[in-house]
Amino acid sequence: MDRSRRRVAGLLLLPALLVVAVVAAVPIGLLFRVALYPPGPVAPLSGGPELDSFAGLLSAPYPSVALRTLRLSLLTTVLVTLLGFPVALFLSRSRGLSRRIQTLLIVSPLLMSVVVRAYGWMLILGRQGFVGETLAALSLPRVGLLHTETAVLLALTESFLPFMILALAASLDRIDPDLLAAARGLGASSARTFFAVVAPLALPGFVAGASFVLVGSLSAYAVPALLGGSAARTFVMEIYELVTISFDWPTAAAASVVLLLFASALLGGAALLSRRRSARTFGT
Amino acid sequence: MAMRIALGAAAAVAYAVLLLAPLAVIVYSVSPGAALEIPPSGVSLRWYAGLADQPRLISGLFTSLLLGGIATGAALVTGIPAALALTRGSLRGREAFLAVLLSPLSLPGLVLGLGVLTSAAVLANATGIRTAGTLLPLVAAHLLITIPWVVRSVAASLESTDPALEDQARSLGAGPFATLFLVTLPSARAGIVAGAVSAFVISFGNFALSLLLASGRTVTLPVAIYETVDRYQDPTVAAVSTLTIAAAVGAAVLTDRISGPLRTRDASSRSGRQADPAAPEPAR
Repeated sequence: MDRSRRRVAGLLLLPALLVVAVVAAVPIGLLFRVALYPPGPVAPLSGGPELDSFAGLLSAPYPSVALRTLRLSLLTTVLVTLLGFPVALFLSRSRGLSRRIQTLLIVSPLLMSVVVRAYGWMLILGRQGFVGETLAALSLPRVGLLHTETAVLLALTESFLPFMILALAASLDRIDPDLLAAARGLGASSARTFFAVVAPLALPGFVAGASFVLVGSLSAYAVPALLGGSAARTFVMEIYELVTISFDWPTAAAASVVLLLFASALLGGAALLSRRRSARTFGT
Repeated sequence: MAMRIALGAAAAVAYAVLLLAPLAVIVYSVSPGAALEIPPSGVSLRWYAGLADQPRLISGLFTSLLLGGIATGAALVTGIPAALALTRGSLRGREAFLAVLLSPLSLPGLVLGLGVLTSAAVLANATGIRTAGTLLPLVAAHLLITIPWVVRSVAASLESTDPALEDQARSLGAGPFATLFLVTLPSARAGIVAGAVSAFVISFGNFALSLLLASGRTVTLPVAIYETVDRYQDPTVAAVSTLTIAAAVGAAVLTDRISGPLRTRDASSRSGRQADPAAPEPAR
């Protein structure tokens, strides 16, 4: 009984697993292969295997672009955490209608296309945009933030804020209210309760949220391309131009492989961290 | 109490940030002229009427609707069986299978698109089957990122229903298929509808994955919007964007009505799993 049941389950899983294999595993495997061809524009994809396209990533402009991308992602993660934590706390203490409205406010942006939201920021930050026109109407000098790193950081923060709120709230929701009452009953100040009880218990949500935001902002394309442009080139923008402008597929594939490996290492590290952490908290 | 007010103020700031970009798009879409005016000199719907003269945006809209419909249908067909297997199949390595099915959500969209594009080129070289310019690569790619939504939503729904009900149906003489279609699936109806809505919205708004795969007649709406906002100042784009914003809010309200206060509390805390912050996928 159990065995046939398991066989049916395997059969039911097969189509979905097949999609992952054909549309994710095979394409990514191919990228690893293409990266080993000799780099160059409109390369015929023959020769090799060699590591020249990876070596090419060590020369300008890639190292500085990679550093900028990393900096933007780290700053986004910090800002999203600082802004998201109080919201998650407020949300986890809300009930009923207030909670439903807040959830709607958090989830709705996630259902909108990232291009539409980036467009909104373009309209706000441009010299002829809401900020610029308002300054002009007040006879102040026009300031345009569009095509700066600040604009990219602002829009990235907005686009990843909902994920961090939801991740933190999922952890905070699971805190037993009696635990907080007990801490207070034992004489802990609210600051002490926060740092000794709430913050450690919110850590799994933070680790999950932070790793997702880090990887997500490293991989973002629409936001840096529309709000930063040539003033704030990121790693993924380089990949796009390698494919569409210089037709250098081996180098584009090599850059993709580097990004994939880095992202996997981050996500794997985060998974390991939260497992070790929960083992220490709940194990003996 | 002071603490609660401070948290509420922080939350209000965060929610305002989340509302800013969509609001800017909506306001610009009803501006009387092509230039943004502060203060606005009136309200006009002429850009909505002007949509009829924008073949790229209209064609993009239809492509995205078609693509979203096909991807959602295929995701239901593959995702519902997978969710059944994961919740009712007494599988070993259940967590690992789930992780594999959800993994596409953390892959960089543009890189995945490059991989699919490479695969299509390899396929054309090896077999002569040309998929370039057809909807097929887009459908495959969108299917990959919509399956996780269906699986997660349907699995959460199935986990909250009592399997004893199915045992009773079986012991009363219902065959496995009758039990599946008359008991199991109807009891997971909410999860199926919520999964379908999310899958459609995610496909409809996706940008980064589609960018390299869309060309000519297969350009999706987000890609068409991206290409337009990068070049012209045109409130028609704001008009079509406003329609997608309305659709996103509608989808969020719909999901909320179907499954009650959205997942933050429901799905994640019951199953005891860490809620994946990848919950709704950003169209990176």
